[in-house]
Amino acid sequence: MALTGLEIFKLLPKTNCGKCGSPTCLAFAMRLAAKKASIDECPDISNEAKAALGAASAPPIKLVTIGTGENKLEIGNETVLFRHEQTFYHPTGMAILVEDTDSNLESKITEINNLVFERVGQILKVNLIALKNSSNDTSKFTNAVKIIIQNSKLPLILISDNLSILEEGLKITASSKPLIYSANSSNYEKMANLAKQYNVPLVVSGENLDELADLTQKITSLGVSDLILEVNKGDFLSNLTDLVQIRRLSLKKTFRPLGYPTLVKVLNTPSYDELFQVSVYICKYASIVILSGIELWKHLSLLTLRQNIYTDPQKPIQVESKIYDIGAVSDNSPVLVTTNFSLTYSLVSGEVEASRIPSYIIVVNTEGVSVLTAWAADKFNAEIITKYLKESGIENKVKHRKVIIPGGVAVISGKLQELSNWEVLVGPREATGIPAFLKEIKI
Amino acid sequence: MKTYKVKVYPENIEVIAKEGENLLELIRKSNIPINSVCGGEGVCGKCKVIVKSGKIDTESTTHLGRSEIQKGYVLACLVNISSDLEIEIPLESRLEEGQILLGNEKLYSKVSDFVRTESLEKKSIFKLFPLTIKLFLNLPYPSIKDNKSDLERIYREIRRYYDFPIMQTGLSVIKQIGNLLREADWKVTVTLGMRNKTTEVIQLEKGDTSCNNFGVCVDIGTTTVVAELVNLNNGEILGVKGSYNKQISYGSDVISRIVYATEKKGLDDLRNAIAENINALINSLAIESNIKLNDITSIVCAGNTTMTHLLLGIDPGYIRKEPYIPTVSFVPVIRAAEVGIKINPRGLLATLPSVASYVGGDIVGGVLASGIAESEDLSILIDMGTNGEIVLGNKDWLCSSACSAGPAFEGSGIKCGMRARNGAIEATSIDKNFEVKYSVIGNTKPHGICGSGLIDLLGELLKSKVIDRRGRINDNLSTDRIRDNRGCKEFVVVWGKDTDTGDDIVITEDDITNLIRAKAAIFAGTLIMLKKLDIPIDEVKHYYIAGAFGSHLDIEKAIFFGLLPDLPRNRFKFIGNSSLTGARQYLLSEEARDKCESIAKKMTSFELSVEPGYMEEYISALFLPHTDLELFPSVK
Repeated sequence: MALTGLEIFKLLPKTNCGKCGSPTCLAFAMRLAAKKASIDECPDISNEAKAALGAASAPPIKLVTIGTGENKLEIGNETVLFRHEQTFYHPTGMAILVEDTDSNLESKITEINNLVFERVGQILKVNLIALKNSSNDTSKFTNAVKIIIQNSKLPLILISDNLSILEEGLKITASSKPLIYSANSSNYEKMANLAKQYNVPLVVSGENLDELADLTQKITSLGVSDLILEVNKGDFLSNLTDLVQIRRLSLKKTFRPLGYPTLVKVLNTPSYDELFQVSVYICKYASIVILSGIELWKHLSLLTLRQNIYTDPQKPIQVESKIYDIGAVSDNSPVLVTTNFSLTYSLVSGEVEASRIPSYIIVVNTEGVSVLTAWAADKFNAEIITKYLKESGIENKVKHRKVIIPGGVAVISGKLQELSNWEVLVGPREATGIPAFLKEIKI
Repeated sequence: MKTYKVKVYPENIEVIAKEGENLLELIRKSNIPINSVCGGEGVCGKCKVIVKSGKIDTESTTHLGRSEIQKGYVLACLVNISSDLEIEIPLESRLEEGQILLGNEKLYSKVSDFVRTESLEKKSIFKLFPLTIKLFLNLPYPSIKDNKSDLERIYREIRRYYDFPIMQTGLSVIKQIGNLLREADWKVTVTLGMRNKTTEVIQLEKGDTSCNNFGVCVDIGTTTVVAELVNLNNGEILGVKGSYNKQISYGSDVISRIVYATEKKGLDDLRNAIAENINALINSLAIESNIKLNDITSIVCAGNTTMTHLLLGIDPGYIRKEPYIPTVSFVPVIRAAEVGIKINPRGLLATLPSVASYVGGDIVGGVLASGIAESEDLSILIDMGTNGEIVLGNKDWLCSSACSAGPAFEGSGIKCGMRARNGAIEATSIDKNFEVKYSVIGNTKPHGICGSGLIDLLGELLKSKVIDRRGRINDNLSTDRIRDNRGCKEFVVVWGKDTDTGDDIVITEDDITNLIRAKAAIFAGTLIMLKKLDIPIDEVKHYYIAGAFGSHLDIEKAIFFGLLPDLPRNRFKFIGNSSLTGARQYLLSEEARDKCESIAKKMTSFELSVEPGYMEEYISALFLPHTDLELFPSVK
């Protein structure tokens, strides 16, 4: 069990000296508990305390890195079962399966390389190429490896049942830290040796969770700890159950033998089924999904879903700061101003819609906080609104110069009128009053 | 420039106004107490006055009804004077000296079920060692053999009584020493001030005056200011007085005052207002106890961070802006005269240290007074003033947060809400025919409903099914007390024939929503703090309630309403004005001063607004008592 803030606090020097940058020892302890600080930031901690904290603060799910450089993939190190409890840290790695028997390998790699999208300012892309040794032929496998590393910067998963062939592939790629697949109850010692010798992470496969736990303990005793657990019962529901069990056991029971990232394959599945299954695995705890589908539309949906699941829910959700047209607006429509906190906007726009009076809502960027909070922190004041009235272009959209402000910030009306030369109408304090208000006023 | 005469009733005084002068400002300047929540922006509609004669020029406002306009009502802040005037300031616009939370003796008359301050203070009896002490010295005469300088001689004698490592004396005092010692035949009384770790000789008096040493402690609330006069020789409380904070005329909440101080260059106005406030209280306390201002040698003030900044004349502007940083949290001891407080001209002023922008010296004082920081047990202290502050902890650690509950519990933003003073309904009961019985503070005709009365009323409305668990009024009941007022449902608590203004006292659905939000903010804040530290609510062994509101509160109904957690009732304790108690302890004891510093230093403040789960907890608490009834087993 990870230590709570209070348990960590008991091990700290309790001097409240502030040298770590946190104002008090308790504040530092809570940052440690939330994994937002490192124990080394405390200059006065005793060695005993450090040892105790170090052991206890080992993450319940190990962080494993595949690949090197800017395309490396980090997975694991998750701390919560549900996203809203904190956040999910390391997005599911998307791997596409290719085989050394593929005749058009090169063009397939190009296709994979093209699976890159930009969405709300972030680059979305697939992460890994999984190469399967279907030929059982050494030279075909090594050739395929060479083609891939020549044509793509993505890290590799090397898949083979034949350990000597796998080792030949490893010889070429070891410096770029591929993932090797996979250790099971019959070959784990040899696989562990390979992983150790070439310093690469290793997938572990077992019949069930008991066998997996047993294998990881055996493998770690051989000195290999960068492990990834494969969930492969075959049918979708059992895979999902296992993924959930692994996450629960590692977080809630701190069951170290299953405290590793996970991998699941979705292969040779009908197109929509594949999309559905991968979507569920992204939501429920797969660290890597290997799929064979390569279609652009499929990956756009999957990567968008992944981005949404892995955003930080602790940051307030904002709407874009701009002019929103509600209904069939004209140059005579009312103009309302509000903040860019999404909840505020949706309440205001909902009520404006309900009024059936076409209106403009201009949304000022208040860094995602609501009207009164923004006013209190001086982020929603006469200067800022005046500036936005000019910049937003609303002056060209309406003939009148009347702006409706939220009733909660009636105090800024005088100054706003002075600065902006717009007539300021003070709206209701609550959004629910908007329909009645819009019906009463004359623009 | 042209001037006009303005006659003000019922004071019946005449004030001279300049052409174009603002009427509200004129009234404020004349020291007539008038309400103004927004600080003169024409927004709050609280500064209504009646024009009896004279011509006025005013803007239109939505705050006045037709009948009011016919009676000559205007908003003072919207009037610029352009003729001689006769005006009346009506009852509802007055800031009355109300039943302000004074010391603790008055307070506990109503809460006999709960532990009183006496037992509370026993826990934290500190050794008497006030901020300033007077010491009579019978100095040995100097001689050729014993030829130490006069000042050294004084220091040497002082050190026979106290082991002060560092002592200092100002030049103006040193200049008097030579003559004064000889005139007094070497029998003098020194006043010593504790300026952190340095001891200062503040003054020298002839003969033995050591019995005349007094101090004042003050709780500077956003709404009220309360001062106590204390005999520093034995800690006896000689008197206590309270008044509204005069800064209210510049805005009722801290944010409005920060805006006034920074945007309107009103820092001096605000500093003067509070200094005058304190001076007036000290004056009347001194007169009543028949002591000289010169014998008051020290004063200690406890207030929230903004109040402390304003008292010291420090720009509070950055408190408001992200990341909400105050200029100072540990203020050195200064001379009271530097901020315009009139006690002994060399007397000292100390302010209780604060923790963060929204966790101030008043809370630190509350923690000191409650004894939380000395107990093994886990306790919660909650101060429900204009804002709600929560402290959780024990002797090892403390954490606090301010939850923006807003002033609903002080009656603000509630249609018929008012502060707890004469005329306020403080308890109600509703029978099966929806008839309302009520009790009023001061046994007068009711004027409005105070915070505890509102909580009481909501409990009754819920019990009698007038409102549902979401706070919605059920308009299918057969009573004419439930009615629709321009789209907003309301319940008539008292008919106009029985009230002091003749208007009905009502509670509207919007009022109920407001109150539920305020309680949800406090309850969610409490739960989030416990959750952050992984502490089950049941482990909280003491739940201290401080503030004016707490003193009238019915615990059972507050739990039913979902404001307080459903804990065994004997864990709740009212501790009254704990900020004032803390300030007094700080004034009287070195030990308490050290303790206070350590409390402020170790307290961790959480900013709830950035807490991920806060919104969710808040929304769950928007129900009576809560969405999760498991949290309220005894209410089920």
